[in-house]
Amino acid sequence: MSKPAHCPSCRKPVLPRAKNPLFPFCSARCRAVDLGKWLGEEYRVGGGSADEQEDELPSAAGESDSESGA
Amino acid sequence: MEKTVAPEPKPTPNPAEYGAASITVLEGLEAVRKRPGMYIGDTSTYGLHHLAYEVVDNSVDEALAGVCTEIEVVIHVDNSLSVKDNGRGIPVGPHPTVKGMDTVDVVMTKLHSGGKFENSAYKVSGGLHGVGVSCVNALSEWLHLEIQREGKVFQQKYARGVPTQQVAEIGTTDKRGTKVSFKPDTTIFEVTEFNFETLSQRLRELAFLNAGLKITIADERTSKNHEFQFEGGIVSFVEYLNRSKVALNEKPIFFRAEKESVSLEIALQWNDGYDERIFTFANNINTHEGGSHLVGFKSALTRTINSYAEKSGLWKDLKEAPTGEDAREGLAAVVSVKLPSPQFEGQTKTKLGNSEMKGLVEQMVNEQLAIYLEENPNAAKKVVAKIGDATRARIAARKARETVRRKGVLDGASLPGKLADCQSKDPSESELYIVEGDSAGGSAKQGRDRRNQAILPLRGKILNVEKARFEKMLTSAEIVTLITALGTGIGREEYKPEECRYHRIILMTDADVDGSHIRTLLLTFFYRQMPELIANGYLFIAQPPLYKVTRNKKDTYLKDDDAKNEYLLRIAGERTRVVTQAADLTGEPLQELLKKVITYKQRLDKLGSRRDPRIIDALVQATDIDAATLLDLEKLSDEVEKMHPYLEARTPEVLAQLGMVRKADPEHQSKKLVFRSEVNGTPKETVIDHAFLSSPEYREMLALRDAFHALGPAPYAVKLGEEEASARSAQEVLDAALNDAQKGLNIQRYKGLGEMNPEQLWETTMDPARRTLLQVKVDDGVASDEIFSLLMGEAVEPRRDFIEKNALYVQNLDV
Repeated sequence: MSKPAHCPSCRKPVLPRAKNPLFPFCSARCRAVDLGKWLGEEYRVGGGSADEQEDELPSAAGESDSESGA
Repeated sequence: MEKTVAPEPKPTPNPAEYGAASITVLEGLEAVRKRPGMYIGDTSTYGLHHLAYEVVDNSVDEALAGVCTEIEVVIHVDNSLSVKDNGRGIPVGPHPTVKGMDTVDVVMTKLHSGGKFENSAYKVSGGLHGVGVSCVNALSEWLHLEIQREGKVFQQKYARGVPTQQVAEIGTTDKRGTKVSFKPDTTIFEVTEFNFETLSQRLRELAFLNAGLKITIADERTSKNHEFQFEGGIVSFVEYLNRSKVALNEKPIFFRAEKESVSLEIALQWNDGYDERIFTFANNINTHEGGSHLVGFKSALTRTINSYAEKSGLWKDLKEAPTGEDAREGLAAVVSVKLPSPQFEGQTKTKLGNSEMKGLVEQMVNEQLAIYLEENPNAAKKVVAKIGDATRARIAARKARETVRRKGVLDGASLPGKLADCQSKDPSESELYIVEGDSAGGSAKQGRDRRNQAILPLRGKILNVEKARFEKMLTSAEIVTLITALGTGIGREEYKPEECRYHRIILMTDADVDGSHIRTLLLTFFYRQMPELIANGYLFIAQPPLYKVTRNKKDTYLKDDDAKNEYLLRIAGERTRVVTQAADLTGEPLQELLKKVITYKQRLDKLGSRRDPRIIDALVQATDIDAATLLDLEKLSDEVEKMHPYLEARTPEVLAQLGMVRKADPEHQSKKLVFRSEVNGTPKETVIDHAFLSSPEYREMLALRDAFHALGPAPYAVKLGEEEASARSAQEVLDAALNDAQKGLNIQRYKGLGEMNPEQLWETTMDPARRTLLQVKVDDGVASDEIFSLLMGEAVEPRRDFIEKNALYVQNLDV
């Protein structure tokens, strides 16, 4: 059942953890790219629809720029 | 002493003169034997193999001159080596200038002799650093020559560089060529065994560099052998370098040029990897240290590609220009130059010094690569896109380094202000609670055991992407705070997982969508950037309770719905008694039965998404239908008929719209029943077929039904404390019992951690004696990152599904 894992940065197959100190990445480069994305605030989890969030958001949610929960 | 007699008279040197000449020769070769390292590098593995290369290079020189097509190398059992070619054969006969010596002996015994130094027999030659085959001779216990030339076969023998006989003609032939056999002198070399793989690698390289030349190697000691012949030359070399990679430009790019008795050849191909592999050669010698040809190649490559990409506008979004390193990411290239008088410099004399080569190589690459890019727009586009990626990757990595440095993650001097650290400095007993939100963080700070529990509040940031969609992310400040608190550092050199300050890192988030998003982000971050912490078993997920129940002024916290049911059943067991003709149940036996009823209801609910659960219930409870019944039409109608009274007694509303047809099921050579009914006003089809009736789910429901038979036939009298009720089915017994159990209870559902006060948080979630933690484990085989990608991706539905099933990859653990 074990599918080969894929590098989160470049999607190429990667060697299993036992043979790959950089797991889950294929290379130091891809690991650095990933860290850059975390620190560049590029990773987001989405999918919450407006009604699920309404407790925490101002009513004019559609227009408000970004931040909430302050 | 026996003399070999030449079969044909030829001018032989006067023995006295021969001896005199030999003395000067000996002077030269004596120096080689005294300081072998000066000539061949060392007397270990490197020097030993150098001997072989020296001899092979002489044969390759014949190939370069276009007069040799085949070289055979054999390692013999006694660790001697023979090299045979089909070149012109070393000239035999009196040497034109060295009086009294045969040309063969001059070549074999005089340093810096031979065609490549004195005349234009070779336009270019490899001849390793000019020491010549005479060095090999001087450093060999014995060396035998066999020369096929002008229809004759000549032989000559040497011991430690000294001829042991005169050149002898030993036969006739229609072939030509030279065979050199020698055994390295064991009194000079510490290592005396030739390595098959080492020699093979160099011979393969030579075969690549000399397209069409066939080189074979056989090892008599092990019967291993190789044959190298590459019509494609260095194009084949590049293909060989990329053999396990995916190439970007389908065929390697190949240029060649001849200018001022210099010849240049370059082959290059990008692959989808990240390594740069450039091999450079000058006159077949691997110039490991590079030199002028490499400098010229690199600068022209960068310049040509940059100017092409600028024109094409493919890098418009790049914030800075790609560097040479970006352009060479994933590049495999071979640069081979051949020139009349190569100068070698550097530590190992493998750096090409001829400065004119830089300009020549540069000019050729500038011209020809530009033409290639224009003529192959598809390949050019891929290459340029790849270089753009490399540039973006480099910028991203550098930004990350700068952020980490700027925020002082690596100073280790100060812990973040948001962190409420614990008193203990022993990581093995220290715990870090990563808490969602500031208010919950406040409760956790007050409620914790400050001796070994540290609190770090993180809340993420919500972004309003579109009107109806919100995304959550961790800010870079929060990530930096987290890394600083953990004390592991981050990035290539600075990350040290062994310095983690806590051996339990506990994610404590709300049991809502928001909480699961933060948790997902944190899990993903740990999985990618700090996988060792997960592998060490340091990462946990806290389990705050979902319910608080107050009964008789006593509070009980219940983790989830299962725990709540369990709790209610216990009360039901205390208060409820079912008396029928067949049974009298209360306490634990009743609890057990009611648990089965719950399972049964859950199964019905599950089936309800595609079928009408009331019909399934009637089927299971009232009939005795299995897959075989579908073929027995008479029994089938009898059984279906039994559903009627069952439905009529319990859910008569179904009957109003109920219809049923029997259809063929050719896949199982059977029939299937299709019931039509309405659920909340919408029509529903319930298919009862072979697949359903033979499913494990159906069989499980039958088993549960049989357990209910212990109650005997309905209706049942149910005693609830002081009250009494009547039930028509096991489900109704359950409903009544649970209803009764909830009387006098106050059940409160916690929406978030913030609703608990510090004491409650401690009691339920943080007290090591009472809490439950899930330990995060990531199995290598499960492509866990696919899951994370899913969570971060665009597809909303599969993501939500996954979040619900989050427990799949976390393991329950009481700590």
